[in-house]
Order: sequence, then C-alpha cells, then structure tokens
Amino acid sequence: MSEATAEAPTWSETGSDSLARLDAELGDAIVERAAMAGDPVVRVAPDAWRRAAIACKEVVGCDYLSFVSAVDWMPAPVIGDEGAGDTSTPAQPREQTVGVAGGSTRFQLLACVESTRSPFRRVILKCDVDDAMRAESWVAVYPGADWHERETWEMFGIAFDGHPSLRHLYLPAEFEGNPLRKDFPLLAREVKPWPGLVDVEGMPGGADDEEAAE
Amino acid sequence: MGLISSGRSPKPLNWLLNYSRKYSLWMFQWGLACCAIEMGAALAGPRYDVMRLGVIPFPASPRQADLIVISGTVTDKMAPAIKRLYEQMPDPKYVISMGSCANCGGPYWDSYSVTKGVDQILPIDVYVPGCPPRPEAFMQAIVMLQERIQNEDMPARWRGMEQEPSVV
Amino acid sequence: MTTTQPPGGLPEVEIDPAALRQLADARMNIELDTGDMILNLGPQHPATHGTLRLVVRLDGERVIAADPIIGYMHRGYEKLAEYRTYPQITTLINRIDWLSSFANEVPFIHAAERLMEVEAPPRAEYIRTILTELSRIATFLLFLGEMGLQVGAITPAFYGFRDREYVLNLIEAATGGRFHPNFNRIGGLKDDLPWGFIAECRSVMAKVMKSCDEFEDLVVGNPIFQQRTRSIGIIPAALGASYGVSGSNLRASGVDWDLRRDGPPYLVYGDLDWKVWTHPDGDSFSRYWVRLQETRESARMILQMLDALPTGPVMAKVPRIIKVPEGEAFVNTENPLGEMAYYVVSKGATGPFRVKIRSASFSNVSILPWLLRGCYVPDVVTILASLYFILGDIDR
Repeated sequence: MSEATAEAPTWSETGSDSLARLDAELGDAIVERAAMAGDPVVRVAPDAWRRAAIACKEVVGCDYLSFVSAVDWMPAPVIGDEGAGDTSTPAQPREQTVGVAGGSTRFQLLACVESTRSPFRRVILKCDVDDAMRAESWVAVYPGADWHERETWEMFGIAFDGHPSLRHLYLPAEFEGNPLRKDFPLLAREVKPWPGLVDVEGMPGGADDEEAAE
Repeated sequence: MGLISSGRSPKPLNWLLNYSRKYSLWMFQWGLACCAIEMGAALAGPRYDVMRLGVIPFPASPRQADLIVISGTVTDKMAPAIKRLYEQMPDPKYVISMGSCANCGGPYWDSYSVTKGVDQILPIDVYVPGCPPRPEAFMQAIVMLQERIQNEDMPARWRGMEQEPSVV
Repeated sequence: MTTTQPPGGLPEVEIDPAALRQLADARMNIELDTGDMILNLGPQHPATHGTLRLVVRLDGERVIAADPIIGYMHRGYEKLAEYRTYPQITTLINRIDWLSSFANEVPFIHAAERLMEVEAPPRAEYIRTILTELSRIATFLLFLGEMGLQVGAITPAFYGFRDREYVLNLIEAATGGRFHPNFNRIGGLKDDLPWGFIAECRSVMAKVMKSCDEFEDLVVGNPIFQQRTRSIGIIPAALGASYGVSGSNLRASGVDWDLRRDGPPYLVYGDLDWKVWTHPDGDSFSRYWVRLQETRESARMILQMLDALPTGPVMAKVPRIIKVPEGEAFVNTENPLGEMAYYVVSKGATGPFRVKIRSASFSNVSILPWLLRGCYVPDVVTILASLYFILGDIDR
C-alpha cells in the first residue's frame, strides 16, 4: 500500500465514493441512505440483504467484516415507580423511534464492513426485519458472519436463512428468552432498586438502628 | 485417621498438623476474569511473590489441590463446572472468593447471566473485596486463611461443622 | 510511514528424520482404523486463557474438527449498558478486555464526545494516547511472557509479569488503578498527570526496550520455540479478513492495515512518526514477532509523546449531568487485541439507547474451527496462545 500522499482521498471522499458504487450496483434495493460523520449508512430492502453484502465485498472492496447485529427500537418498559424518584436508570423514550437512515419496523439489522486495502473505506448497512423475524444469512459471503448471526439470533430472536447451524453461542442451552429485546426484564433491577442510590448510609448500630429499635 | 475423626487427637498433634497444612497450601491453578490477572501477578510476579508464604500455585488438576480461589465473574453457564471442580478436590479444602464479582455479583449485579456471588454454590472461607483487589489484598487473604487453618478444630471439621467466613 | 519485514529473510529449519518417522507411525494409526475421540479442553484449562471450552474431535493426535464453546464469561454488557448512564458504562467497559483496560474506554468516550460535539483538549488527547500505548505495552508484555509459557517455557512468564509491573506502576501513578483505571470522562480526563511521571515514564520505556531485547534473545531465538511455532496455524490474509480477524493477527499475515493510521483519525497518532509492522508468514511465530515489534514501537511512540506533550487543561467544559443528544455514532480503534468498535445509539437521555460492542477477540476466535483442522493437539495450544484472545473480550 502506498504512503499517504497529497492525492490520497479523504475520509468523506472515500465515503461518497463507496456510496456511489453501491448506488450503481444495488440501485432500487437501497431504501434510504445517510452519512454519519463521513461514513455512509445505507438501509437496504429486506430481500437485498445478502446482495448488499456481495456488493460491498466485490464492488466497494470491503473484504473485512466488522460485525453483524441488530437494534430493537421499541422503548423499554418502565420499571419501578416513577414517582419514587429513582434516577438510577436513565430515562428512555416513550414511543418507538427510528435511527439514522430511518426504519419502519421494531427490529433492524445492523452491520459494518470495512476494507483492509484502501484506508477509511467502510460501509454501515441497515435492514428492516418484519414480524416474521427472518433474514438472509451472510455466511456465504463473509464466513465470519457465522458467529455474529448466532449471537443476533440468540439475543434478538432473528433467524437467518442459509446459516449452517443456528444454536446458542453465549447462553446456556436451557436459557429462555432473547435478552437484548427491550421487553426482556432485568429481574434484579425490578426486585431491588439500585443499591447505589443512597449516597450515605448510616453506620450499623448508629442513630438509624437506635431509632428503629425504639 | 481414627484419632481425628473420633475427636481424641491430642492438641499438640492438631497444632502440628495445622501448622504443616497452612504452610503448604497447593492452590488450584485457575482464574476466571480480571481478578485472575491480579492473582497471577501475585503468584508469578517477583514483586508479590506468594510462594514465600508456602502457597504453590502449580497443580493444574483439582485432585491435588487444597485451595481454590474463585477470581472473577461466575456466570450461570460456568457455575456447574465450578461446583464439579470443587467436588473433585479432596478434603480438607478451602475456598477464597476474590473480587466483588465472586463475592456478590459485583458490577454485574443486574445481569441476566451472572451468578450473584459464588457463595450461592460453594462454602467460602475468606472474602476479598475489591475490583480487582490488589495483589497485596490477595496475600492478606492468604495470611488470614493461614491463621484460620492454624486455629482450626480438625475434629469439628471432620464432623462437618461449618465456620463463619472471614472478610479481608 | 513505511512497513517493515524481518531482516535477512526467514531462517532455515532442519527437518529431523526422527520426526519424519513419527509421521509415518501416525499414518499407520489411520490405516488401523481406530475410532475418533472427542476431547474436551476446558472450560477450566491452563492453556485456554480463561473459560474457553474447545471440543475437538481427534483422529489419533490430529484434530479433525474443532468447536469452540464460549459464553462462560458472558456478562451481558450490551443489556447492562442500556440501564446505565455514560459514566457508569465507562466503569463497566474497562472490564471487557481486562488486560488493556484503558484502551476499551477510548472508543466509547470518543463516540459520546462526537454525539455531544465536544472535543477533549489537546493535552487530554496526548495523555489518552500515552495511557493507551502504555496499556498496549502492558498487554503485549504479558503476551510475550505467556506465549512462552504455553509453548512450554516457564521463564518468559516470570519476565513478562515482572516487566509488566513497571508499566502498571506508571498507570497506577497516573490513574489510581493498576488496571481498570476508569480515567476517561466525556470531554477529557479525570485528572492531570502526577509530578514526576514524565521522567519515570522515560526510564520505564528504557526498561521495556531492554526487556524486549531479552524476549528476543530468550524466546524468539530459541530453536525449540521456532520449531513449535513456525508454520503452525497459518491464517491466509483474505480469509482472515472475511472472518473479521484483526490487529496483530492480521498484520502477521501480511495485511498492512492499522486503524491508527488507516482509520478515521483519532487520538494523536497522526502527529507521531511510527511504523506499522507486518510479517508475510501468517503463522504463530509471525504473530509473536509482530507483537514484539509493536511493543518496541509503542515505547518509541510514548517517548515522542512525552517530548511533545502540550500544556493546558485536561477537561473541556461539559455540563454536570451529561445528556448526550440524539444520534448514532460508530467509532472503531486499534486496541491491543485488534479492532474494537462501539456503535452508540443515543436518544437524548443520560444513558444510551443501544450500545453494540464489537470486540476483537470474538472474531479472532471465530476462525478457530477453520484453523484447527488438521493440526496436532500440542499445536492447538500454540495456536490458542498466538491468537491472544481475552475471554472478556470474546464473551462481553
């Protein structure tokens, strides 16, 4: 690879170039596009997920898989009593929202691929997942997607067509539920408020205890 | 030994057996997470050399170990393996719970996959708080454990009477 | 900035005729049609660096198939991050790659700073870079010692831990924690460097260079080490990239790619004069060699930064309760283990909406089923040691 010269493209120039190549290859399959701090974010139609991967690998030249995951856009249910003033858990949005490059479903696949040959070149891909919770697998294009898709299946419940064996990666086989879904509760937080909420506790055997004993 | 199990062993013999046991602890070579690195620094680093206290960290098999140090987060997936390893150790055996993850779940107290404290599955002798505890704190735990062993009542232990754990 | 190859080409290794005879015996084993055996390495095993379980199917001593079973250290970081504020998450993510803890915080803090449109002052960026490179040296010193241990030599492990203590001293002097410093804040750092740090750092870097020379003498030059690691576990460059293998592992296969130089500029690497080290072979020896050179390179970088350290504040003006505006940010950095990235989705609250943590070891280990086919059982240990993963990084 050559040294950085005066003619080497900048980060956002490379991003626009990647976007142009994807546009030429995928055309209508791109539902929405955006730029996020110089990186192209491309939302593709659900049936073009694998085609987008092939386009990134062959046309844009992104040979390196960074990750494949998903986002659950549903707001998390409120735990505990809001009036109690529990400020330990950050307030979350109350209705379903979308992110960069839009979206219309609760679940969205999120992936990033990069290039090891030309600097700064990377593409962030998104794709809506409807209620059937199925998506195309990338294993034939990037073999490393094997484990990423297993993790996404386990955490969100999205099944991947064409994956050799979708089985548990992180969680024990008997685990029920998909932890990263917003409606999966963290039971420890529901049973007991965050112990660090109290700044100063009384010493055992001190004034608090004496009052309680009276 | 018949003397110990029937409770008729003389005090000097108890003292001698405890003395030799406390200075030749064989520690099971095992660490889970970040605390294992501090444990490793205590064991393998010449700065906090723990071998001078008599603790030899070499056995890779639990069947030859006296001491197991649970250093790091215990997950629900790992818990059966820990229990099985503990049961493979021969008596008398001691457990040190090192770090806040092993003590009570630590910073992951609300996680869906973490066992909130290894004392849910094993009886602990010494707790070492810290995240991670410094190697000096770990050595303090070893010294505390050695004091416990010295003052241990072998016949009571043989009969299965439990002792209160200590905290560094 | 240039790339560098090992000087003088590759040394010659003599093939021992006794070893060839052993290979012939192995073939006879196969002809006798003995059955396959399933060997379970871990989750407790001295050679698996933690709670990794590797189920291998053996034919004699040869591995036919390998299946890594992970998740014994899965603590649910991504879920926990949704219930915590940004400073609380900074405390937590230290513990993902628990050897180079400071380096884990940096991409997350950068993502939050990008969303808040806050820039840390130059002195803070320099100190962050110094601490990141110190973490890199600390991690690699442990690796250099511990790969020797896995291959069968105990002495390098003691050297590694001893020299690591000097670097941890420095990190502790600056941040208060030997590792898990929790020193980054959105907008800068918690504190400035202590008095006497720069002089102490210079002398520690001299010690680090000397200890790298010791490792080169003791381990790299050792013919047993060479025979155990040369041509073992070769990762082809294109396959490695498509699996997501990153960092020194990919550079050891000849891929000239380092996010400090080739990614969007972060920290102060652009101001420094440094090289990216690659090795054409792609075997376990080249992974060791590349990390050894990178340790030296990090020491040189730190010396440059100490000379060029700007004065000024270490914290930008940020509000007391940090509410990060709505948006998404993706930051990836060259961590000691490889590429670490955070995809932070924020909805304007004090904590993020979703954090996707891309950790390097996860992808590095995913290549094991392909890599371990056809190698001997002792080579499995060598390959695991040379890939250098941290279980917290795999399992998050």
